[in-house]
Amino acid sequence: MDTIQMLYEALPKVAGYIYPNELELQWSVLIVLYPYITGLVAGAFILASLERVFNVTEVKPTYRLSLLVALAFLLVAPIPLNLHLGHPERGFEIFFTPNKTSAMAMFGFVYLWYLLAVLLLEIWLDYRKDIVLWSQCEPFWPKRMVYKLMTLGVSNISERSLSIDDKLGRAITVIGLPSAVLLHGYVGFIFGSVKANPWWSTPLMPVIFLFSAMASGIAGVLLIYMGLCKFRKVLIDIKCVDTIGKYLLSAIVVAFSLEMLELIQMAYEAEEHFDIITLLIEGRLFISMICIQILMGSVTPMLLLGSAQVFRFSEMTRKVIYGLSATLSLIGILAMRWNVVIGGQFFSKSLLGFTTYKLELIGREGALVGAAILVLPFLILAGLLYLLPPWDHCSPTAADRSSK
Amino acid sequence: MKNLNRRQFLKFASVTALAAALQTLVSPLAAAEKFFREPPWKGKKKYWGFAVDIDKCIGCGRCAKACKTENDVPKEPFFFRTWVERYILRRPAGLEVTSPNGGIDGYPALTSPETITKTFFVPKLCNLCDSPPCVQSCPVGATFKSEDGVVLVDRKWCVGCRYCIQACPYGVRYLHPVLHVADKCTLCYHRISRGLRPACVEVCPTGARMHGDLSDPNSPLSKLRDTSHYQTLKPHMGTRPNLVYLNMDQEVR
Amino acid sequence: MKDFQHLLHVAAVFTVAIAAFLAIRHIVVPASFGRLGHYRADAVDEIKALPVLYAGERSCAPCHQEQTKDKSAGPHRTMACESCHGPALTHEAKPKAVHPFRPKEADIRTFCSACHERSLSRPRKFPQIEERKHQTGAPCIMCHPPHRPK
Repeated sequence: MDTIQMLYEALPKVAGYIYPNELELQWSVLIVLYPYITGLVAGAFILASLERVFNVTEVKPTYRLSLLVALAFLLVAPIPLNLHLGHPERGFEIFFTPNKTSAMAMFGFVYLWYLLAVLLLEIWLDYRKDIVLWSQCEPFWPKRMVYKLMTLGVSNISERSLSIDDKLGRAITVIGLPSAVLLHGYVGFIFGSVKANPWWSTPLMPVIFLFSAMASGIAGVLLIYMGLCKFRKVLIDIKCVDTIGKYLLSAIVVAFSLEMLELIQMAYEAEEHFDIITLLIEGRLFISMICIQILMGSVTPMLLLGSAQVFRFSEMTRKVIYGLSATLSLIGILAMRWNVVIGGQFFSKSLLGFTTYKLELIGREGALVGAAILVLPFLILAGLLYLLPPWDHCSPTAADRSSK
Repeated sequence: MKNLNRRQFLKFASVTALAAALQTLVSPLAAAEKFFREPPWKGKKKYWGFAVDIDKCIGCGRCAKACKTENDVPKEPFFFRTWVERYILRRPAGLEVTSPNGGIDGYPALTSPETITKTFFVPKLCNLCDSPPCVQSCPVGATFKSEDGVVLVDRKWCVGCRYCIQACPYGVRYLHPVLHVADKCTLCYHRISRGLRPACVEVCPTGARMHGDLSDPNSPLSKLRDTSHYQTLKPHMGTRPNLVYLNMDQEVR
Repeated sequence: MKDFQHLLHVAAVFTVAIAAFLAIRHIVVPASFGRLGHYRADAVDEIKALPVLYAGERSCAPCHQEQTKDKSAGPHRTMACESCHGPALTHEAKPKAVHPFRPKEADIRTFCSACHERSLSRPRKFPQIEERKHQTGAPCIMCHPPHRPK
């Protein structure tokens, strides 16, 4: 439906007073998806770095998978951003004339840095030995050509070169951690630094975003790992998922505590905007925030995962708990992004009224496009798993970083 | 530094410490604390400002209409560079604010007039902030504050990310539905640069709106500011607006 | 040395990419960008050159001296001509061909009521009437000459 048409339909649904320009929501579901996707990237990467930097050997089976998941989502991340621009063809400007006072301008270089200098380089260094071997033994010639290209013309996999790769890879992971923090933290800062919007403006926003991102990334990799094991008819490494489950619980607890602290402080200080925000939470955001984000997406997984720590459950039960908790928290964290982005635009900056948002099905910023954006990383991941399997391939001396 | 013996080191350390201590004594005397900012137009030529006298506004809406005509703003009731709000305060309680089509077509008749205590009109436009959060947030440098104090949008460079619209505390920006770039009141920059008045000032029947040169102490605007008590909107935001309101009620948002 | 070769190839790829980036940037970013601040300086002149539609009060007086003189003595002296007559720049350019707006007699009561209809929200001293009670049917200008109303 045409924008103007939608606005005429929205006009009678306004409650109270809004500034005349506020009827149209500026940021749609696409901007809900962007923090969600970069959050998954950051979370998956941090899970990978647990093994590499902090030597949590139990999660080794998911190391390469986490990197590929991070890459698949990172490649999709700029798509919702570009699609929602008024002039997508001018998107390059953010690389060429970034305004150093703008939080959003950081996107250009933080994204490029993270993609090229951290993620791609780390994946390449980790897989290099396999890539060289596959470029020699792969029977399907187009695939072999791709591997040959990826070797960058060097086929040296001597002990020394591999140990250089290992040291460099570790260094990159160490740099990669703050880079991942920056990649998602700046998104939180984009919202947290908008003093005009009291629902967004808080110094806690980057931290809240980061910890819920970690929870979503860990949950995502957990689900993908368990799903892939089932698909490949391979046994799930229970020690691995037990450890991931612990980290998931920690991430959810921290994220939830910060979110609650934010709300409690806001309620306690009861500044000018408190009245309209109370109406917001009790009204337009009741289902998505109280029910989905908090009860279903945070409290329930915490109880489930917590009970797995306290009680002795069978392996089967634990796997079900992990799968269920991961799913619920992924839904809850998507709801959280919705509540922040869309919720913050529901109420007027006059603090005297509400506008409305109708998620269209079709159209550039509609639900179908949103769903496609969420599905696309899995298609890319399938391609990456085909090209760079984390497990055994044709070579008999496949890297020992693969899972069982 | 490597072969410093203990005596040399102690000498060095104590001299440094003494110097630092003296510095803390001297600097408060040297630099008197300043609790005000220098006006931004010091040294610059023209610097545009605007004043609205709420007591004079009759809510006819001609300003909003003329603005849309002059600046080719889409006529639909969702895009305004300027608009007029009506405030109604009632006893025992009640605050109603409306701006139907920005005030262009007038306002509906007042209901229950016997309960009304105060009611008045408030024109809104770009606040001409000295510290504009919109300029701060633009990722590509498409919106900026001109040297003569007007916040403008470069239509050819704006990517339409809408961050500036989110950042403006006053709601004066919108995304142009045809050009797909951010748009806002420009103080009729194309008019004031030629010595003409902004369209809204031109057509206001009662002279409720006034623009002028803040750098000139003898301009009508400067004289008005120097002789009246005025307020700005949302001063706690730190945007330092150069749009001032005379006779503004506390309830104005 | 041979063991570092792959890293040198990576460095080479990065160098080429950065060089290409800088070259493209030099071509794409307009020359006036950054001259006055972090924006395209040419934009200022482009905005100044936008079309003007309202001529401004001063333009009317030279040809319409009678009405100007009339107005300056009455309560409508604070009003610009274009406030009621709409944008008149095209009329100034082609006075005979283009005529500014003038309300039709049937619409006059509605037209004047836009400002003069009684409302509590309006300043008390501002002249206001209740249109549906005040001399119904008669166009306002019958008793109140528009340029110099009483």
